Amino acid sequence: MLLDITSLTKNFGGLVAVNQFCMSVSEGQIVGLIGPNGAGKTTVFNLITGVIRPTSGKVEFDGKDVTGKRPHTLASYGIGRTFQLTPLFTEFTTLENVVASYYLHPRSSFWGAFFNTPTYRHNEAFALEQSLKILDLVGLSKVKDELARNLPHGYQKMLGIARALAVQPRLLMLDEPLGGMNMDEIAFTMDVMAKVRRQGMTILVIEHNMQILDLCDHVVAINFGQKIGEGTVEEVRNNPDVIKAYLGEQNVA
Amino acid sequence: MPIGSSPKQRKRITSIVFYATIIIFLALLPQLGLPVYPMHTLIGVFIWIIVASSLRLLDLSGQGSIGHAAFMAIGAYTSGILAKFLGWSPWITMPIGVLATGVIAFLVAIPFTRVRGIYFTMVSLFFGIGVLAVNQVFSKFTGGYSGIGSIPMLFGYNKTPYYYFCLALLVICLSIIYRMEHSRIGLTWKAVAQSHAVASSIGINEAWQRILCLGVSCCIAGIAGVAYAHYYSLLTQETFSFNTSINVFVYMTVGGPRYFAGPILGTAALILIPEQLRSLREYVPFIFAGILLIVLFLMPQGLAGLPDQFRQRFARSPKVKSLPAEEGVSKRAP
Amino acid sequence: MDTLITCSVNGLVLSAIYILVALGFSLQLSIMGIFNFAHGAIYMVGAYVTYGLSVGLGLNPWVSLLLSVILVGAFGLFVERFCFRPFQSQITRMIVMAIALILILQTAVEVTLGGVTRALPAFVPGILRVGFISVDAERIFTFCIGAVLMASMTYLIQKTKIGQQMLAVAQDAEGAALQGIDTHRTAATATVIACATAALSGSLMATIFSMNPFMGDNILLKAIQVTILSGIGSIGGILAGGLIMGLLNAFLPVLTEASIGELITILIVILILLIRPKGLFGYELF
Repeated sequence: MLLDITSLTKNFGGLVAVNQFCMSVSEGQIVGLIGPNGAGKTTVFNLITGVIRPTSGKVEFDGKDVTGKRPHTLASYGIGRTFQLTPLFTEFTTLENVVASYYLHPRSSFWGAFFNTPTYRHNEAFALEQSLKILDLVGLSKVKDELARNLPHGYQKMLGIARALAVQPRLLMLDEPLGGMNMDEIAFTMDVMAKVRRQGMTILVIEHNMQILDLCDHVVAINFGQKIGEGTVEEVRNNPDVIKAYLGEQNVA
Repeated sequence: MPIGSSPKQRKRITSIVFYATIIIFLALLPQLGLPVYPMHTLIGVFIWIIVASSLRLLDLSGQGSIGHAAFMAIGAYTSGILAKFLGWSPWITMPIGVLATGVIAFLVAIPFTRVRGIYFTMVSLFFGIGVLAVNQVFSKFTGGYSGIGSIPMLFGYNKTPYYYFCLALLVICLSIIYRMEHSRIGLTWKAVAQSHAVASSIGINEAWQRILCLGVSCCIAGIAGVAYAHYYSLLTQETFSFNTSINVFVYMTVGGPRYFAGPILGTAALILIPEQLRSLREYVPFIFAGILLIVLFLMPQGLAGLPDQFRQRFARSPKVKSLPAEEGVSKRAP
Repeated sequence: MDTLITCSVNGLVLSAIYILVALGFSLQLSIMGIFNFAHGAIYMVGAYVTYGLSVGLGLNPWVSLLLSVILVGAFGLFVERFCFRPFQSQITRMIVMAIALILILQTAVEVTLGGVTRALPAFVPGILRVGFISVDAERIFTFCIGAVLMASMTYLIQKTKIGQQMLAVAQDAEGAALQGIDTHRTAATATVIACATAALSGSLMATIFSMNPFMGDNILLKAIQVTILSGIGSIGGILAGGLIMGLLNAFLPVLTEASIGELITILIVILILLIRPKGLFGYELF
């Protein structure tokens, strides 16, 4: 059990955004967290990654209690995440975005960096080399010197994933990675996710787009902040509550 | 980039050669017979460039301060008071002054970095004024409005040693800033400035980085402060007033905060040009305002951004990498 | 007892001035985010225009006052269009622009009328005696004008169409534009009102205390302090904040040394920024 969430709850004033949510992710799995818009998926993400504090409940990562810890602490424990909106360092180039993300491993000290020690130079060379490899993996090598904010939307999302990979996480959390992508881009992204999983990564992905199910080993469905279904892809696809949640939303829209 | 591709390294070497030439030229000036008054002016320019550059360093981490003169004041008054009333040598009191500035900077950084953006700027504004008020409250030691005079000077009455001393300080401080900016330290600060959320997600303790940046920036301002105290030998309420802080802020902004050379050009222009035209006496502020207006309306990237501005204007064709609609991300690069 | 009364009167007078200036400042800030650092300089110019017209040209003081308000208000149109609109949402450059403006205004006043501290003759000379209390009539007048203006502005913002438009732009500029509201014209209106009230406040202040080309610097800081204390979004909040600030500034110098009093005020402002950036009464600050 790499990630274990127990009875996670979040109240915003009077509004219960997440209610007694439970979930676990085993090492090497790709777990999908699906649900219609506003179901609370990103809130759960933010609760796990420390962006907001839970009202109650527990989050355990790799056996350690990480409930409510700050985002940078969780990154150091091995959780990397992407963001749905504004996911990048906009003033950096594509390459700089990834190199900057090699902050934790290897970790250079302040004075090491200042005095340009051999260790520091070695770390930087490693970071650069790995960054180029990651850009290759996600297909962004051609645009490595382009300013991140000039990239088209699909590329930006891909860069977000590249950035998260630079943290060398054990758990990769992707927030709506397929959002706004066309068919080719979706196929490519899912390809990258599969490749990364084959290299041993555990992935937890939020997605609104049901196509993600093709990749998942395990799926958790959420609506109105509560779990409404869980299981294999088949089980969840045929779960009447899940169907209602999605169809119901379509009816209203 | 610390270890970058060749064009960046070439650019860096060009910059270093360029700056080295200017430094050598400045170092030779007194030998070529620089008169006293211009030397005096240049010493001032050196000191204010240090402050403006330290302000820019702070700006790298996304924090804009309009109270920076207060940190100069802390260093200056600490060193000045110790030297004058306890009779210690300025060479001992100066490091103490810088240390005092650093300690206070880190202390106030902890609460002050809780807020960001314009809120931080407002806090810096009132911190600057607050330090002046503290100055008044302890006027028994600090001389209040009329300040302290006859602060022991570093060298005799000949200005030349001060010129070289301040030039050396300038080179040292600028080198420190340059090194930080172009290493992972600067990279981390720039990351924090662009997005706290993303920076946190890659493991950067962005609150601590902002504190660190503020502390370093203020220490450098403190260095300028102690140099000021033991050269001009007189500190008054007006020396480090709100106007001073705003002036330094303007020097940096006019020069172009995105460029290393920005504070250098901005300070030099806004001190030397009005100085050259001082015969206009009470009309000089119009000149100053005129420079501001010209840069504001005609040079959006500041003085140091002019080369880039021309480059963008006269570029042959926009270098837009048009990605054909069909070539989705799925096509792997050859 | 005498001091208490003097302090209270001074406090109320200062409050009125602070409220007027802070209202103008925060009005511009809430609509299109105009951080008018030059607001103090405009306040000063208002005083000097009144002076120039009444003492310099010998016009009737009331006419001078009215002309000053109109002229400086009109100047606000120029300021909004050419000084602030080009730098929308670029606060750094807006501040530099304001600095340029301040320099030009201050120097213009200095070279034409001289930098000597002067006093403007009172509009309502004489002393009023009520029971055992004697107060400058001018101060009562200032307070009354302040109260009337505050009431008018409140009415303007809450009950008129222009006021509603200003509220709409303040809350959501883009949305307001989509509704067909001319956001630039609204911003211009706000600036004109702000400049006019600043001119009025400056002239009044010049009669009670004194005037010099740098009187605007201090009042700008006070306006920012009141705005931080109160927060934006509530006129009542500015009223309360201005009252607090005015009373503090009147009583503290008497209770302790002037510099300690100032230090206390600054500490309060910094604390508010750190702990409750929204201000005591407002919805948001910047």
